[in-house]
Amino acid sequence: MTHNNLIRILAIAPTARGFGYAVMEGPRRLIVFSNKSILQNKNERTLVWVEKFIRRYEPAVLVLPAVNAADTRRAKRIKQLQQQLVGLATKHKLKVKLITATKVRERLLGQIRGNKQSLAEVLAGLFPIELAPRLPPKRKVWKSEDPRMDIFDAAGLAVAFWPK
Amino acid sequence: MKSLPNYLQAQRKRLALSQEEVGFLLGLNGLNKGNKVCRDETFAREPSLLDALAYEVIYGRPVRELFAGLHHQAQQRVAERAKVLSFRKVRNADARREQTIIQLAELASVNQPSHDPQ
Repeated sequence: MTHNNLIRILAIAPTARGFGYAVMEGPRRLIVFSNKSILQNKNERTLVWVEKFIRRYEPAVLVLPAVNAADTRRAKRIKQLQQQLVGLATKHKLKVKLITATKVRERLLGQIRGNKQSLAEVLAGLFPIELAPRLPPKRKVWKSEDPRMDIFDAAGLAVAFWPK
Repeated sequence: MKSLPNYLQAQRKRLALSQEEVGFLLGLNGLNKGNKVCRDETFAREPSLLDALAYEVIYGRPVRELFAGLHHQAQQRVAERAKVLSFRKVRNADARREQTIIQLAELASVNQPSHDPQ
């Protein structure tokens, strides 16, 4: 896919709790970012929300995680959701870009190894006004992941979409 | 790339303000003042001129930048009308008038200015 810096992209990061989303206009402009918690009928409700975002922000590209890549293990529900999201993008005539977790780490950390906390810290450094206030504290081993991390998952996908 | 109708949400998050706080600054009353700001940000409502100017004061950005999409839309419409006006024949036409109409008609071919929310 040829990269054009004058396009708007919507990145969706589906998670066990719901999904995170980010809208970017060019590689340096993070316009909208947040997360949605969905407790019931997760796939159906996610599709409703994503369709709403597509209509509202009119992106040219939908960026999704490559859930079937060799470096990723995701739940069956997430894999189904990704297929449904691709279908939704086709319906709205959007291009779809699937990005692997390895590519996100390579793009942001410069290496294929790294954890989500370090990715989030790099993103907070790239967007100090927007994302730094949303950076969750380092997760303790006995705690579950902070919901705010969904935002950084989506923002990571959005940033990895653009070439260096 | 077509601009979004407005960039209010990006500007509010830049200043770390809540929707309720912006609603209060806009002078909205009632418990649901945050809802109106939410509707402005999601393009469900177009704020009044007074509210638009208040947004300019709050966010420190010109209205044309905050409402980039609407500004572009208005610009295109004026340019289209200016083209129509340029064909109208007027007795004793003023040179300034001619120049103004030509400049406005040329706006139709001007690309949308890039918006910088930073």
